[in-house]
This record gives sequence, C-alpha cells and structure tokens, in this order.
Amino acid sequence: MTPFLNIVQRLLTWTMALSVAVLLIPVTLQIVARFTDIIPRYIWTEELSRFCFIWMVMLGAIVAVRERLHFDVDVWTRLTPRQDTLLRMAANFCVLAFSGVMIWWGIEFTKFGWNQTSELADLPMWMIFIAWPFAGVIWLLFLIEAFVRDIDLYQRGETLTSIAPQEAV
Amino acid sequence: MTSATLSPGMAAIVLFGTFFFFLIIRVPVAFSLGLASLPILLIEPRLSPLGLFNEMFKAYNSFILLAVPFFLLTANLMNVGGITDRLMRLSRALVGHFPGGLAQINVVLSVFFAGISGSSTADAASQGKLFIEAQVREGYDKSFSIAITAVSAVLAVIIPPSILMVVWGGVISTSIGAMYLAGVIPGLLIGLAQMATVHAYAKRRNYPVYPRSGFVEGVRAFLTSIPALTTPFLIVGGILLGWFTATESAAIAVIYAALLSTFYYREMDLPKFYQAIVDTGRLASVALFCVGTASVFGWLLAYYQIPKALLSNVTAWGLGSIGVGFLIAGAFLVVGCFLDAIPAIIIVGTTLQPLAASVDLHPVSFAIIGIVSLAFGLVTPPYGLCLMISCSVAGVPMRYALKDTMIMLIPMLLVLCAIIIWPEIPLLLPRWVAPELLK
Repeated sequence: MTPFLNIVQRLLTWTMALSVAVLLIPVTLQIVARFTDIIPRYIWTEELSRFCFIWMVMLGAIVAVRERLHFDVDVWTRLTPRQDTLLRMAANFCVLAFSGVMIWWGIEFTKFGWNQTSELADLPMWMIFIAWPFAGVIWLLFLIEAFVRDIDLYQRGETLTSIAPQEAV
Repeated sequence: MTSATLSPGMAAIVLFGTFFFFLIIRVPVAFSLGLASLPILLIEPRLSPLGLFNEMFKAYNSFILLAVPFFLLTANLMNVGGITDRLMRLSRALVGHFPGGLAQINVVLSVFFAGISGSSTADAASQGKLFIEAQVREGYDKSFSIAITAVSAVLAVIIPPSILMVVWGGVISTSIGAMYLAGVIPGLLIGLAQMATVHAYAKRRNYPVYPRSGFVEGVRAFLTSIPALTTPFLIVGGILLGWFTATESAAIAVIYAALLSTFYYREMDLPKFYQAIVDTGRLASVALFCVGTASVFGWLLAYYQIPKALLSNVTAWGLGSIGVGFLIAGAFLVVGCFLDAIPAIIIVGTTLQPLAASVDLHPVSFAIIGIVSLAFGLVTPPYGLCLMISCSVAGVPMRYALKDTMIMLIPMLLVLCAIIIWPEIPLLLPRWVAPELLK
C-alpha cells in the first residue's frame, strides 16, 4: 500500500506546486492589464486565481496529513513510546472521523453545486466543491496506512522516528 | 437566530469544551476546530453539517487570503535566491561588532527580512537553519539561540508588508496602507528592545564579538543589498499611490524577488525554484486549512451571539481607552497562546471591534495593538508557531527554550504597553506620510 500512496503523494504535491505557480498568472495579468493595453482587462482573472487557491489549500491539507505537518498542541511532557503511539492513534481516529464527515456531507455538498456555474468565468462549481470529499477519501487511505504502522510500532514498543515521510516527494 | 435550541452559554460550553478536549488528545488544531463545530451543527435544527462546507468555501473564496502564499513564496525565493545572504552580509557590517555579534545580526536580519516578507513562520524557518547551529558553535547557549531566532521572527508581521495586516484589513475593513505605515515605528521599537536584550545577555554571559567591518566592506555590502532593500518601498509605496491592491502587491513582491535572484544575483535555478514553490504550498495550505475550520467555529460563535454576551459585561465596567487597550491586548495575548494569528483575527478581532469603537480608539491603533499582541502569540506556548519551528529546527522540544523566550518577551511587552498608553505612537508615520488614510 505504501508504494501506491507514495505515488499518490507525489502526484498531489506536484499538482499543489503547479497551482501555486498558476496562482501568480491571473494576478499578474490583472496588474498588467491595468497599466498597459497589451491585453484586455479580463474579468475572469480574479475568479480563476481564487479557484486555484482553493485547490492549493485542499491539496496541501491532504498531503500534510501523511507528512504530519498539521500543527498540534503538545501538552504531554513525558510519554513512553507505547503511550505516545496510543495517543497518536486516538488523534488519528478523530481525524478519521472528520474524514468521514468530509466524505458523507461533502458528497451532498458537491451534488448541491452540480448545476451551478461560477459568476464570472462560468465554471461548473462541482469542480471546486469536489475537493472536500476528495480530501476525505485520500485522508482515509493515508490514515489506514498510519494505523497499520502504529499497531506495528505499538507491538514493538518503538517511537515514531521519521516525522514526515517526505522522501516520497 | 431568535429561536436557537441551545442557549449561548450552552453553545459556548459545547464549542470550547470539545475544542480543548480534542487539543489535549493532540488532534491537530485545524481538525479540532472542525470537529468541535460538528455537534452544534448536528444538534441545532436550523443548521446542518453542510454549513461546515459553506463557511470553509466562503473563507477560501477570498482574494485577500491569496496574499498568504505570495508572501511565503517571496520569503522562500529570497532564501534560495541569495537575497537573504546579501542582507546577512549587510547586517554583519552594521552590528557584527556589538556584544553578541551573531545574535545582533540575527535580529537586524529579521528587521530587513520583515521589510520584504510578511510571514513570520518563513522567517523562523529560514533563520533557524541559518543561525541556531552557527550560534551554538560560537559558544552561545542553545536555548538563547533558539529563543532569539523565534522572537525576532515575529517582527515580520509587524513591519510592513505583513500577512496579518492584509487579513485584518480584509476582515475588519481598515486601510491596509495606513496599517503598513503604522507598523513601522512599533516594529523598529521592538527590534531595538530585542537588541538591548541581546546586549544584556551578551555582557552577562560573555558572548563573542566580531571584529568591526571595514568602511569599504560596509559600503559594498550596502550597495549589493540596495535592490533588495527597495522592496518594502515598492510594496508600501505602490499601495499608497493606488497602483495595486494589497494582494497584488504581494504578487509583485514575488515577481520582484524571482527576477532579482534569477537575473541580478543569479543564484536561482529550476530545482531551487520548485523547492521554494513546494515549501510555500506546504506551509500556506496548512495555515490556510486552519483558517477555513476557524471560520466555521467563528461563524457559530457569532450565530449564538456569544461574543456579545461576553462583552456585555465589559462595556458596563466603564473602562477608558487605555483600559480597553489593555483588555484588547490581553484578549489577543491569551487567544494567541492557543490559536494561530489569522484564525484569531477572524474570531476575536471582529468581536472586539465594537468595544474599540465605543471608546474612540482609532481603528489603526486598534489594529496595531491587536497585531503586536498576536505576534507575541507566535512564540507563546502551547501553540507558538515560530517557537515550535525554531525548536524543531534545533531538534529539541519546545519546553527547552521557554525560559529564555519569556525573558525576551518582557522588554517587548514594555513596547506593547507604550503603544497602548500612547496610541498616537503608531499613528505618527501615517499622519506624516498619508494623513488622508486616517480620515
């Protein structure tokens, strides 16, 4: 499963990087159009950058679950490796519950936007809304992988060493 | 809104109770906020979990927040493209011969960095790699090195440009240009307070000093840095002159940094550029995802009018403008311990605005008091992002550098008190340069 998820992670990271780069284009067009006559003042530039932005945020948030980049608050001072693993599994279980919410009501949310189009560029809105259930599904996969790893760690009584499996990127 | 099933008190208990429960079992903050909103969305018949998606979508669908990835990208491009190195040389020529030379350089570089980038987390991450190990090797205490890196990083959101001011301007509709100008003097004062702190430490602990740089060397360092040093004037000036909006100015900063490092300093190549973009996406989306769930949480607080209930007592106390100033700072300092600054602005800033207006505190002074207080929150536990990052760069737990961080915060708190007692201090510069922005 891990090799497959490595590929998923690499693809998602690559797409996220692309959306960061693409973000710049509409904003630049907007400024250039204001001061010169080289290009017309496109009305869809702002909307396009906002939509790229939403996908960037969601893609980054998806990958961050596997890389354990979402910030948490650590109030526990001394934990044994086993306690640490158990606590991480409990926290991951809560994230799993949230993934469930994202999938269940996210699909409803996407259906709700099925026939809507955006105000300026006339893009179908489901292309944006689907980011939420998509995040839920990928999180589910990442979390299953994490549970398998944590059960193994617990049995061996070891601590999680590599904080972020970034070698996949 | 009139016939909610839950009373404001009950709703507050459910929201904050579940939020802290999830925090304690180490659920990431972004998910804790989302999960804490869920019970209310399910219990209240007029709401449904779809509200979660609606509010998140509304939060992300904003042109203002685009500034966040842009400011981060500027910072990352500066680091990989050699701009930071040039500024470091200049800082060394300026303050290297002071007691605690390297630590002074750390602070001064943060001031320069703050003038180009608007992101404290990027500052903490890059300067953590640059300074902590180097300082320890030169004989500085490790906890001191971590602490000074973290506290100097917070300057990035006080000295313009600043992510927090852009967000503040979007959420509480205050002139971003005026806030930028207003941030300069408090930012420099805090920088000076930090340099004084380093001086005191260095004298007591005999930290090393660099030989004074020659005049020629100093001039050369200054000349090579000029293109980088003009960035803040380009950004702030462009906004004041109405050339571009705050978000666009952030995009301009990215393009300027990219051009500078590719064609002028010639240190940029494609792999480095890709790395800068990936790092930007990672950090920006983690921070912004939290903004989404925080917006849901904040929206529910507003739905039950919880802030109003909390503040109804305060207005009865009959505080003057200084009293209210301290109250505002206190509220942001406490909230900043548990939340990132952007969600804190969304949830708390909007709550406190009527209070600030009721005592005729100038909106710009209110913004600066809020932002400086929130900047302190970047290094206060349990959720102090800059301190977390510095500590993780050094490979130690956060407790390790806590004592020195708290000591360094004391002189900075004095500056905050000064701003509260004399709210005119931040207004000096905008009043002089662009009085029309203050109305």
